[in-house]
Amino acid sequence: MTFRWLAGKLAAALLTLVFVLIFNFFLFRVMGDPTTQLARLPRAAPEEIASLRHSYGLDKPLLGQFADYMGDTVTLDLGISQRTREPVWNEIAHALPWTLLLVGIGTVLSVLIGAWLGVIAATRRGTRSDSGLLGFSLFTYAAPEYWLGILLILVFAVAIPILPAGQQVTPGKEFDSWLAHAADVAEHLILPVATVTLMLLGQFFLIMRSSMVDVLTEDFITVKRATGLPWERVVRRHAVPNALLPLVTISAIQLGAVVGGLITIETIFSWPGLGELTYTAINDKDFPMLEGTFLVYSVGVIAANVLADCLYFGLDPRVQTA
Amino acid sequence: MRRLCALAVGAALAFALAAAPAGAQEGKKVFRIGWGQEPQTLNPFIDEDEEDFVVWSINWRLLADFSTKDLGPVPGIAQSWQVAPDKKTVTFKLFANQKWSDGQPITSADVKYSLETFAPNSLLFGSYVDAIASIDTPDPLTVVLHLKSPDARIVGGLFVYILPEHVWGKQSVKSLTGSYKPKMPLVGSGPYVVTQFQRGRIIRMERNPYYRGPKGRFDEVQLIKYGNADAVERALRLGEIDFDREVDPSAFARVGKQRNIKTIQAPSPSFTQLAFNLCNERNCPDAKFNPGVQDSVVRQAIAYAVDRNRINQIANRSTSFVGHGLLPQFYKSFYAKPADDYPYDVAKANQLLDAAGYARGGDGIRAKGDTKLSFDLAVRTESPFNIQAARLVAEMAKRIGVEFKVQIMSVDKLTEITTQKKRGKMAPDFDTFIWGWGGDPYDPSLLLNLLTTKAIGGSSDSFYSNPEYDRLYEEQASEFDPAKRKQLVSQMIAISQRDLPYLVLTVDPVLQAYRSDRLANVQRLCPAPNGDAICEQVTGAPFTTLSPPLAAAAAKDEGGGSPLVFVLIGIGVLIAAVLAFTLRRRRKSADEPVELEV
Amino acid sequence: MTDVALTAAAAEPHEGGVRELLRGKRAIFGLGVIGFFLFLAVFGSAIAPYDPRASSTAVLEPPSLSHPLGTTEAGADVLSQVLVGARVSIVVGFSAALISSVLGALIGLVGGYFGGWTDRGLDALENWFLVIPQIPLMIVLARLLSPSLFVLIMVIGFTSWAGTARVVRAQVLTLKERPFVERARSLGASDRYVLRVHVLPNTLPLIFANTVIIIAVAILAEAALAFLGLGDPNSISWGTMLENAFNAGAPSAGAWWYVIPPGLCITTLVLAIALVGFLFEEYVNPRLRER
Repeated sequence: MTFRWLAGKLAAALLTLVFVLIFNFFLFRVMGDPTTQLARLPRAAPEEIASLRHSYGLDKPLLGQFADYMGDTVTLDLGISQRTREPVWNEIAHALPWTLLLVGIGTVLSVLIGAWLGVIAATRRGTRSDSGLLGFSLFTYAAPEYWLGILLILVFAVAIPILPAGQQVTPGKEFDSWLAHAADVAEHLILPVATVTLMLLGQFFLIMRSSMVDVLTEDFITVKRATGLPWERVVRRHAVPNALLPLVTISAIQLGAVVGGLITIETIFSWPGLGELTYTAINDKDFPMLEGTFLVYSVGVIAANVLADCLYFGLDPRVQTA
Repeated sequence: MRRLCALAVGAALAFALAAAPAGAQEGKKVFRIGWGQEPQTLNPFIDEDEEDFVVWSINWRLLADFSTKDLGPVPGIAQSWQVAPDKKTVTFKLFANQKWSDGQPITSADVKYSLETFAPNSLLFGSYVDAIASIDTPDPLTVVLHLKSPDARIVGGLFVYILPEHVWGKQSVKSLTGSYKPKMPLVGSGPYVVTQFQRGRIIRMERNPYYRGPKGRFDEVQLIKYGNADAVERALRLGEIDFDREVDPSAFARVGKQRNIKTIQAPSPSFTQLAFNLCNERNCPDAKFNPGVQDSVVRQAIAYAVDRNRINQIANRSTSFVGHGLLPQFYKSFYAKPADDYPYDVAKANQLLDAAGYARGGDGIRAKGDTKLSFDLAVRTESPFNIQAARLVAEMAKRIGVEFKVQIMSVDKLTEITTQKKRGKMAPDFDTFIWGWGGDPYDPSLLLNLLTTKAIGGSSDSFYSNPEYDRLYEEQASEFDPAKRKQLVSQMIAISQRDLPYLVLTVDPVLQAYRSDRLANVQRLCPAPNGDAICEQVTGAPFTTLSPPLAAAAAKDEGGGSPLVFVLIGIGVLIAAVLAFTLRRRRKSADEPVELEV
Repeated sequence: MTDVALTAAAAEPHEGGVRELLRGKRAIFGLGVIGFFLFLAVFGSAIAPYDPRASSTAVLEPPSLSHPLGTTEAGADVLSQVLVGARVSIVVGFSAALISSVLGALIGLVGGYFGGWTDRGLDALENWFLVIPQIPLMIVLARLLSPSLFVLIMVIGFTSWAGTARVVRAQVLTLKERPFVERARSLGASDRYVLRVHVLPNTLPLIFANTVIIIAVAILAEAALAFLGLGDPNSISWGTMLENAFNAGAPSAGAWWYVIPPGLCITTLVLAIALVGFLFEEYVNPRLRER
């Protein structure tokens, strides 16, 4: 059962991916004719447009075009960015590490802090600190993440100018060592990561809290308490690990929501990741780039879901013995 | 566990120390310019952004450069030129012993390549060589241009960069107009040439050892990419850069108030205009528009009713210049304030319309017979300033009983309605719109051409057609004597002001800001005395006079480094404290008796 | 926003009257806020002290007596813009949620009830829409079409129906097995009758509860799209206010009066809607109440 189940999930993921490609193709090649969008000069001569169409294979039948498209995508030929004339994949490959850095650290921090706060709130359920934390989490959850980011800029980069408000590194600066470079990046990471953390904090807090509340009311906890174990120990050794399970899987699934948030966050901090690429592509109407980033986002989310399934599978003993 | 604390604090400290800013590059004098947009690829065959021009104008010279004083033609690659009596042959003599930045000699072959192969195949430079029938290069220092008809642009308006044929000639035109990316260093003839183009970060330009002219005081010019105009401004304030080449109009006044920052507001050859659809039956049988727009009295009344000063004040935050006709004041050699200037006069506007028989209806909007003075006003969403100008125009026109319905649309849609065709002929679908144009640095032909009949189907978006205007255009285009040419141009302007296909609202400014404590010898050039500091997009000459501050004191970096050290130390201490706290509690509970795990 | 997380927030263990009271308080707060913003949506432009588009030379000025929330980069009154902005956010939010709900409910009903290949196909479609990251999808669609209020509503509506569909489908599946449905069908009632009379009324409360959440999602989506420049250029909304503020360098200028109010409005409205939505969900789904 175990491998078949996993294989099933992988197959489903692959199928979803194929649908994404079909959707992409339909949207960008069929709905939006690339030549009208690619010919930046609106008064291009008809012969030029015709030759452009030919070079993009747009005069082939639809199925032929689709076959080309699939082939291209698999070999990572995602077209050429209209603005920079660089291959889309190159631009994406450069930007991806920065996004992963930001999202990775942000997610880890928000899981840790969210879980920690969730435990505190659950163990003090009903008190003022619980309501306070609840209120804080709901607030950051409902607030638009780019607004939170702008607020952080206002406070920490303008009012008390101790942190840089944009880019990943001080532009134009020459670094003597790898460490100095890393330190500069770290300085620039603080505010964006803080924003990502705030954005995700709320849901991890809420899940952890409710999960803890569940666990704390379960029988085995009562038993543990009855045997005289100090409360703290009970919480830390027994309640927390059990409550962590849904948290781990949810964090992988939430990647879909994170993607939306990271576009706006990278925009306000001029963070050179996928989100900023998307934002400039929106403004430049650089459709090859939009298509490429959309594909990457989709693949990322699908992969994260598969990962979540595997994690859930690995962590939850109940599933394994089913 | 105590060791862990010590480690944490130690790590934080080490980190903080390492983060201390690397000291300023010893000895090297760098001029740092910040911008929010960078060039596409620097390939002049296909690029069209102004950022490309900023770099190109420093990297390459023209046959005849633009004078920093009055933008007139001065020696560039060419030392001198002669116009034959029949005006159809122009002979250029190049300087002897000129070299490219890679040491190769600059010869007439380079000029021939640039004018014959580069310009016609490029996106933006083709029109300048239209009149050239053939090019002779009898010797390496002589270029003879044979023209189809006299064209004054050949002297002073030949805005085609002379490229090194030994570099560009090696590529096929197909690849050059495809995805070719120029190789670094960008071999050039200007005072500095590009040696590195790191996309998203920085463009480095180093001194050209073979530049024919005074040596620039800076060793390196850097163009540093920031996320947006806001970030550039902040960088200027913090001292990360010395020069901001495009200050946002909303921020301009505020930026100027900062200590050590000076701002520059200079005119440019670009303007923003309100355009009317004047296409006639013959040229556009299928055009769609409100006929009221084609009554010149209506247009003149609108011109009187629109307070261009107010538009400058509000829509452009007083940073632009009031428009006075088709040719901006920037064109010192050819500009003259038109007689018909339409000063703000609501009473006069109302008078004109009353006399012409347009009576106000119940809703306050004038009409005559079937024609109601209610027009669509299209404006592109990409420019908030244009949008505001449109709203102001609508607000002011209401007072004279003319209604403008502002329609914000994407630039694509605006292009569509102004260029669409039906049955092979132009069929524009608009009443009025607001947009802008940018002209060449010296030669007025580009802008004057916009209102010619032959531009219909090309760059004309007002579809104005006047044989007298067309005749004068051809005359001035072939008039090499600037004084005579100015006369002809004035006549053209007078006609265009009378017929008003365009109501030029404002002239766009060049808004720059720089650190007065880091830059010396800043002059207002192109044109003097109130041009901009770097003659951006025009010529690289100012880069030979701008210099680091005369006082030897190096400018200190403000902000940035030091507070961070404290922040990191603080965080380190915090981490250490938290660790110590939690670990101590752990130790305490470990002292308790072992529990039975159920 | 996940159902899981917010359900967790709203659900409290079954203890004590304090909780009941708190729940009442939450409902009052939520409905009150929503009511306030609905009022603004209708009467905002009437009570705004200035024309929100009227520009002036008083650029980016801090709050003063004449401009209680200061001015924008165009010299327009921030307070007026905030008041008027409620309309777009609410209209887009509610309309998009309506479309999304109707679409989702229809698909969920049809798939769940008829089963078989229709269901499998619709389920696959549902899963696809659930997996695809929503904001990028909306961005792509909005960019391909010309941004306008109508396009925004359509784009948001047509990309967020999957959640409702999933919930409705699950409900329909359980209902299908209920005795009264089987009895009705054995008596010869047509599918349409059964759907209309038995299935739909029992699913409506669930649909409604879900719709409320989607409204919150739609409002956030509109704001995000507007912030990225894909909003309707002709209208003023809280999202476009934040977009203009950011593009005009308001953060650098320290113009907190321009930046805080629109974001605060979005947050408060979304919170209130989510609160009410989950209270409703709790009411509708008794299982949640027992925890």
